Amino acid sequence: MVQFNLPQNSKIEIGKHYQDKTNSKNIKKVNVYRWDPSSGQNPRIDTFEVDMDNCGPKVLDILFKIKNEIDPSLTFRRSCAHGVCGSCAMNIDGVNTLACIKSHTDINGDLNVYPLPHLKVVKDLIGDLTTLYKQYESIKPWLETEQTGEEKAELQQSQKDREKLDGYYECILCACCSTSCPSYWWNGEKYLGPAVLLQAYRWIQDSRDGNKKERLKKVADELKLYRCHTIMNCTNSCPKGLNPAKAIGSIKKMLATS
Amino acid sequence: MQDKNNPLSPHLQIYKWQISSLLSITHRIVGVINILAITLICFLSLSLLLGAESYEIIHSFFKSFFGKFIIVGLCWTFSFHILNELRHLLWDLGYGFDLKVAKITGVIALLGSFILTILFYLIGKNIF
Repeated sequence: MVQFNLPQNSKIEIGKHYQDKTNSKNIKKVNVYRWDPSSGQNPRIDTFEVDMDNCGPKVLDILFKIKNEIDPSLTFRRSCAHGVCGSCAMNIDGVNTLACIKSHTDINGDLNVYPLPHLKVVKDLIGDLTTLYKQYESIKPWLETEQTGEEKAELQQSQKDREKLDGYYECILCACCSTSCPSYWWNGEKYLGPAVLLQAYRWIQDSRDGNKKERLKKVADELKLYRCHTIMNCTNSCPKGLNPAKAIGSIKKMLATS
Repeated sequence: MQDKNNPLSPHLQIYKWQISSLLSITHRIVGVINILAITLICFLSLSLLLGAESYEIIHSFFKSFFGKFIIVGLCWTFSFHILNELRHLLWDLGYGFDLKVAKITGVIALLGSFILTILFYLIGKNIF
């Protein structure tokens, strides 16, 4: 359902203001979305004044600096810090991206950090991605073959067929694209969203997979696939530079021509 | 994690508009306006069957500033919808998904719609 306004319990309030104590001349104001499940209050925006002379170059460095030096209760997901794991996906300066590879020098003025859009918030910058993972499971993201596992020969793939997966296998499932998509906001329960559809395409395209027709048939659905209206927020936000819009377009074309 | 008390993270409120998303929503709104406009034009043409009097009413309406504004506005909505629909057709054929290409075609569609509007207006002005 399309609901433009946030529900009553999600309205954002003004939170605390943490003044700089280091007397630094190079200060950046960082506004961070906070919600504590144990407080029973509405979410709020806390403002932190961060000394940029002693801070690393990425947004994740700022978040760590806040957590280490100002407020240890700040909660966010992170793991590799090199843009490989996809854990620190969040909305930075209005666009979804990975905090670990987004340079804060690219952002003029105050820095705004929110969780990924239109998700149930677990705490602070952590959104609940259960639905997305279920949808991912529904497209069977594994190789389906008629082989029993007893065969001695490998399942081989030519270099050319392998190249067909370029631009798709690199997806790290950070959910930046899906949560940037207005169609996914309004129909997230039924529409699969760019991340899952890109994955679906990746398996449809795999020359080793023996279930291409079934896969196409399963995804060919008014709600699952055709809620994509090529808004292209997904491609605009992908931190790995992939193109989910093109993957979805390719599925639509396959269905139209098969 | 299906606790109803958990808040929903902000979406429209905070997400930065991209050229592509702005054109997409404009395409939708303009599409609705066009459908209404076509219906209205049909009714206007029908009303001409009632005789010269109704023609006079319509004529004087379109001569007024408000009427002219609506005509120029509709010239733009139709121009924009046609040009942006061409982008959609291109996408359906599998082309133009590259981020740069999509941005360029978007800007072309927008600028083109204004140019078409001016052309329509100038041509129409000489006819009527």
